[in-house]
Amino acid sequence: MKRMLAGLVLLSGSSVAMASAGGDGCGWGNALFAGQNGTGPHVLAATTNNTFGNNTFGMTFGTNGCSTTGKLSYGGKNAVAAIMNEFSEDVARGEGDALNTVAVLYGVEPTDRDTFASVMHENFAVLFPSEDVTADEMIASIEDVMKADSTLARYLES
Amino acid sequence: MMPILIIRCSLLIILTASISIAQAGENKVIADLQMAAQKQRIWQSAVWINLLHYDGKGDLADNYESEVNDRRFFIAPDGKTNPESELFATLAAFYKTDVTGDEHAQCKFIARLNWLKQKLSFDTGSLPVVHCDKYIEWRKHVRSDSVTLIFPAYNLNSPSSMFGHTLLRLDSAEDEGNSLWLSTAINFGADVAAGENSILYAFKGLVGGYSGMFVTDHYYKKIQEYNRIEHRDIWEYKLNLTVGETERIVTHLWELQDMNFDYYYFDENCSYRLLELLEVARPEVDLTAEFKVTAVPVDTVRAIENADMIESAVYRPSQSTFLLHLLNQVPEESHDLVIELSKDMSVARQDAFTSLPENQQSIIVDIAYQYLRHQQTNKVRDPVIAKRSHQLLLLLNSYSKGLAETAPIDIPVSPEQGHGSKRLTLGLGKRLGNNYAELGLKMSFHDLEDNEKGFFRGAQINIINLQIRTEENEGVSLYKLDLIDIFSLTPRTRFFKPLAWKIYTGFERQLTNGVDQLTTHVTGGAGGSWSLLKNSQVYALAIGRLEYNKQLRRAIEPAIGFTAGLLQYFGPTTAHLDFSGEQFTDGIYRLRASYIQNIVISTNHSIKLSAKYEWQEVDEFSDVQLSYQYYF
Repeated sequence: MKRMLAGLVLLSGSSVAMASAGGDGCGWGNALFAGQNGTGPHVLAATTNNTFGNNTFGMTFGTNGCSTTGKLSYGGKNAVAAIMNEFSEDVARGEGDALNTVAVLYGVEPTDRDTFASVMHENFAVLFPSEDVTADEMIASIEDVMKADSTLARYLES
Repeated sequence: MMPILIIRCSLLIILTASISIAQAGENKVIADLQMAAQKQRIWQSAVWINLLHYDGKGDLADNYESEVNDRRFFIAPDGKTNPESELFATLAAFYKTDVTGDEHAQCKFIARLNWLKQKLSFDTGSLPVVHCDKYIEWRKHVRSDSVTLIFPAYNLNSPSSMFGHTLLRLDSAEDEGNSLWLSTAINFGADVAAGENSILYAFKGLVGGYSGMFVTDHYYKKIQEYNRIEHRDIWEYKLNLTVGETERIVTHLWELQDMNFDYYYFDENCSYRLLELLEVARPEVDLTAEFKVTAVPVDTVRAIENADMIESAVYRPSQSTFLLHLLNQVPEESHDLVIELSKDMSVARQDAFTSLPENQQSIIVDIAYQYLRHQQTNKVRDPVIAKRSHQLLLLLNSYSKGLAETAPIDIPVSPEQGHGSKRLTLGLGKRLGNNYAELGLKMSFHDLEDNEKGFFRGAQINIINLQIRTEENEGVSLYKLDLIDIFSLTPRTRFFKPLAWKIYTGFERQLTNGVDQLTTHVTGGAGGSWSLLKNSQVYALAIGRLEYNKQLRRAIEPAIGFTAGLLQYFGPTTAHLDFSGEQFTDGIYRLRASYIQNIVISTNHSIKLSAKYEWQEVDEFSDVQLSYQYYF
């Protein structure tokens, strides 16, 4: 059974090689913000089937830094940092999945998500003052902006 | 690992005294359970076989072997090769009192415990009380109210990705749709050391040598990986698993944490293991039987569909698909502005831009931003481009929310609705003046002319394509065997400039110096493809070829050549006109024209007409064929 596969070595060689030619490379160059963290080392660019030995079920245990911290549920601040790019785009537009995801992470009720989206949209320049903003700075700004809003402030109270 | 071992050893010493007292009563309970299990032969139950990943059949326990390659997964010393003894050892382990907490079998093998409790309907009060802190903590994070099968489809310009990939996603019922990014993705993959050579990866993936393992991660990482880095659309199939079935997947997944399986690229791959998980969930379905030799991901999706496990499908377009969609939303005249704006922010102050209505402006800014980011995929962050990207976002943000209403994206036919991966061909034809009958078998996957439904246009990948012919006055002979045949024709546009490329290798008959014989070759090339009209594309590639042919001067004779042609999509039929030729270093040349028309009857049936004419220095001849194609 396995032997019939030996003849196909070239195929896979080419597929990996061609995948590289198609522009996968290694690394994670698509990050807009200099201070983004949380995604880079976790995503292995080369192929779809690869895994990381030390990260098998790690996302939930904090072994890779994805521990739940602060007020955030699920993956916590790390998740916000990890989707920083997508979040910035959605904030610029005023809508999108990443924006919703951050709202969910902060426990914002469905009825307040439009408010959350609008408030973030209005404060894009506060959240993302420059392309060098760090994820921590962005998170601090999100929370400042939420605290200053009468509807959203309650989600940060303990 | 060491600290755990040390703790266990010290516990052993402390607990020895109490165990010996408790043992008499426990042994009786265990022995009764084992006897009941033996009587019912429950080790032969599909559930037990699935939970332990045994391969084998029959009444003899020795005829089984587990595909899990990890001692920690088995309690009995011969557990890997004996389902019955593993069952007895598992029952006994649940009663152990010399192990506590997370290391106890009750915590490590929760799916086994749940099933055995139910199957043997035993008094759970007789079990020692164990606290599974790690498991409880894990379950808090893994929300699992429903299960979704995830199929990242093909990359337009990378036919090798046609094979795709599958994973599962566990979703929370709460916040349906809004928390999917935070869902848990379950991926089975090879444990490849970072930076390992890709050829070695391919080799070991094929012949063995890798361990495979289940990995869980946040789904947003998969969106980033497929939608944004690899530019692959994602299909999400919600499965109709019950609460109990879902629970079995999750508890079994816990048992598989860090466990090593063999990993093979073609059969024991991601998709195969996911089918096994689904069999654990629903033991009455047999999904894996047809995939013992190869498990092409899209075929496994089809198998799950045929087992009536799919409730609904959701399409998540890749970033580049979405970008193309947005480009169609603005007039062609604005495309210049998009490109210029992506290069220079000052364009936003020019009249050509400011004179446009605001909603058009905002779409153009959005597209320019996405186009710029698209070009940065997998590149090292460039501070200048990062600055411009940020400025584009600031500009985009200056328009009011919801200003740019764009039409929803057209949802393409989902991949599992396409034709089957394997193909059987029966043809009649005439070549070199001789009538022949042809029998063809293709192991996978898609020709340029094959039914385009569910596939991308201009993407061909075939593996093991065999053509056998029987000619009048001659016996049966091999006409052609392509080992690999990839032809990628993604049209170039002003925005995307993909390379058209081709590689194919195998054995084929060639008439050379008047002698018709089997040759061996490797042929490859690169060039471009353009879409002139909506349903047609043209291409031209420079070709290089190495051929082993006794009629040629050298053992391996090199040639250079070309291939150029036209593909026309008429809906139910696709026509392909091609001109190609090669000139060998020893002076021999071949020129040929071919025309293929494939007429689709239904998803898995078609009629193909092909006509070829070839010119050489001494000969010229034709090969005309009419064939029936069945995909399965």
